[in-house]
Amino acid sequence: MDCKKAERFLLRSLDGRLDHENRALLQAHLEKCPSCQKKDREYQMILSLVRPQTVPELLPYFKERLLAKLKEKERTAPALLWVKWAHRAVAFSLATFLLFGAGILFFQPQEPRELSRTERFLLQDENPLGEAGSILDQKKAEDRNMMLIFASVGDTDVSRRYRP
Amino acid sequence: MDEKELIRRSQAGDGEAFGVLVERYKGKVFSLAYGFTRDRTIADDLAQEVLIKAYFSLPKFKAKSEFGTWLYRVAANHIKDYLRKNKQRLKEIPLQEAGDRVLASADLGPEEERLREGQRKVVQAALARLPEKYRVILTLRDIDGLSYEDISGILKLSPGTVDSRLHRARRKLREKLTGRLIRQGGEHGL
Repeated sequence: MDCKKAERFLLRSLDGRLDHENRALLQAHLEKCPSCQKKDREYQMILSLVRPQTVPELLPYFKERLLAKLKEKERTAPALLWVKWAHRAVAFSLATFLLFGAGILFFQPQEPRELSRTERFLLQDENPLGEAGSILDQKKAEDRNMMLIFASVGDTDVSRRYRP
Repeated sequence: MDEKELIRRSQAGDGEAFGVLVERYKGKVFSLAYGFTRDRTIADDLAQEVLIKAYFSLPKFKAKSEFGTWLYRVAANHIKDYLRKNKQRLKEIPLQEAGDRVLASADLGPEEERLREGQRKVVQAALARLPEKYRVILTLRDIDGLSYEDISGILKLSPGTVDSRLHRARRKLREKLTGRLIRQGGEHGL
């Protein structure tokens, strides 16, 4: 057994937590190691000195003083509670305000994108023949042609423009 | 009256029931505080503060552990806070001076008794200089004599951690005292 292990056993033996077998091993090491014998004596001495000789009595009327303080605290407790929660409320409001501000700064709403004609038909349930219907309903061919011409003027695709 | 009933009534705000609990535990809480401070008045004040804190924290006690263990935990945490806040003041007495002061006083009785008291002061001064976690565990085990299981419950540490931390703390204390108390002890034939 080396001295490091012996010290570990020594410390354990101070609490009576060393089994019989290891105690015998420690004893055998101590008998031939003056350095560990010295350590053993020092630990024993420190342990005996660290414990107070006597613990003094409590000061008089301990319970009576304590119960009087408790009553006093209970009387002031609601006010203290209010102060405690007021502090928390201020902190909470501040945090909410900061979060809200950050939200406004970083998450500005985007402009709604203009929908394509197909999207309008699909998403907004528009009738694709709505506009054409009124044109086709015209009885006179000239009116129908004129309306088709005007309707196709705005079309960006030239191939789709009406050519009578 | 049964302890569970006393706790239940105290949780409901019954001061009289809490008074009975105070009678049962005041000595233990005071002894713990005295182990840390070695000052009767400060220990008394701390014991009062701990029990007041415990009374107002009682609604949070869910009986997952023994009441005594829970109360010790409240006490240990409160005393740790106190030590942290008063770190400077508690370290005022230099290690060597602590022993010399007692050794120098002539009217303390027989020579051996004076030497022993001087060494005790040196050990206390060294203990006060240890890092908090070592000081706490040494106080709970070597001064208050609590079991490993109780310390494990109070500090919420595994028994293995209690074991290794306690050994490290004792080693640190011995290192601090080597060349001071040990040398002094040697000079005085210890």
